[in-house]
Amino acid sequence: MKSVVEGLRQHARVLGDREQRADLHLVEVEFGSLRAALEWLKNETGHVQLTLLSIVDWLEDGEFELSYLVTDPEAHATLIVGTRIPRDGVAVPTVWDLWPQAVTYEQEITEMFGVSFDDSPRSGVPFILESWSAAPPMRRDFDTLAYSREHYEDLPGRSSIDARTRVGQETGEKGYTLAGGDAQAGDAGRSEEHE
Amino acid sequence: MSDEKHITEIEDDLAARPYEPAVSPPTPPVDPYCYLGATEMPEPLPDGEAMSTFKNWCRANSLWIMAYGTGCGAIELRPLLTSRFDVTRFGMAPRPTPRQSNVLVIGGYLSLKTLKRVIRAYEQMPEPKWVVALGSCTINGGMYWDSYYTINRLDLYLPVDVYVSGCMPRPEAVIAGFQRLMEKIKAEEANGWNEYRKNIERYKANQKRVITDWDMPDYNW
Repeated sequence: MKSVVEGLRQHARVLGDREQRADLHLVEVEFGSLRAALEWLKNETGHVQLTLLSIVDWLEDGEFELSYLVTDPEAHATLIVGTRIPRDGVAVPTVWDLWPQAVTYEQEITEMFGVSFDDSPRSGVPFILESWSAAPPMRRDFDTLAYSREHYEDLPGRSSIDARTRVGQETGEKGYTLAGGDAQAGDAGRSEEHE
Repeated sequence: MSDEKHITEIEDDLAARPYEPAVSPPTPPVDPYCYLGATEMPEPLPDGEAMSTFKNWCRANSLWIMAYGTGCGAIELRPLLTSRFDVTRFGMAPRPTPRQSNVLVIGGYLSLKTLKRVIRAYEQMPEPKWVVALGSCTINGGMYWDSYYTINRLDLYLPVDVYVSGCMPRPEAVIAGFQRLMEKIKAEEANGWNEYRKNIERYKANQKRVITDWDMPDYNW
């Protein structure tokens, strides 16, 4: 696996790498050399299988992180090729021609996160959501509660009871411990904390 | 060994107890719509009502379920239909198409995509027809109350005759719900399908407010 990462440095700009397990390695590459890295891994090494393409929203950094899991079936080794992209205004090169199943992943990421992929065959075709016109719902700055309140009516009179408060009201104690622990000590400790 | 009482001591204890008259078992209520098993002679019904009660008795005992599983509650329908709970003893059966069924069981949360298909299926069912809604999701959204693609209240979009609460309700609870539906049908109280006809404008407005790409007929006969 080390040799693969060393070889990858020759073909792509590697920003960092980390060994997670003996058979799982993480590599972060620069966005510009993502396509070159994946092409080299597919064609020149044994990593012929795209296991997963996933995305993480780093809202505080203003970035998305794309992760391509490519697996070498003969060596039973997986390489996670990650790259950071800006949240808006970037088209990611498709890997559809390398792995046809990437079309579905790219379609879903486009729908749920609003990241577009260049030349992906089904880009713009709805994947799960029908007639969705709001922001991509899996972005962390999408407020699902506000959207739900705006579009779907609630039954009036909804209330919730906090279990801790309710048990305290019923037993007259200020705190309670879960069954199975040392009830005496726990009660004493909690009541001291509250007082 | 000293704790054990001799049989004569037990008899003495029993004799010392105050006298309690034996309680006769309560007489079972007479079902006016089903004379099988009734112990009293039936009262004559008003003219015209006899045939409708007979029809309602037939309807209540031949509930055919539309086999359309929505949400997690559909998983509770499998044990309901198989040998352990066996709702076939109530004359209920799963049917493959809406044209052959008269009970629509909503098994839980409804996404907008599913709601569209459910409305289509409901409107294609022959009348009279009834809706049984399972779980807290159909009542008030349940655990999907803040989800972006699931409705919160089913009764805005379809008339619901019986709700079964729970998350999810056990098959016993679902059977209790179906028995409540049968009681309502016999008492002519399960008129949700007629409410749908009466308030069709309101239901359609609610449906079209959430389903923005309405690409089917206004009513799916």
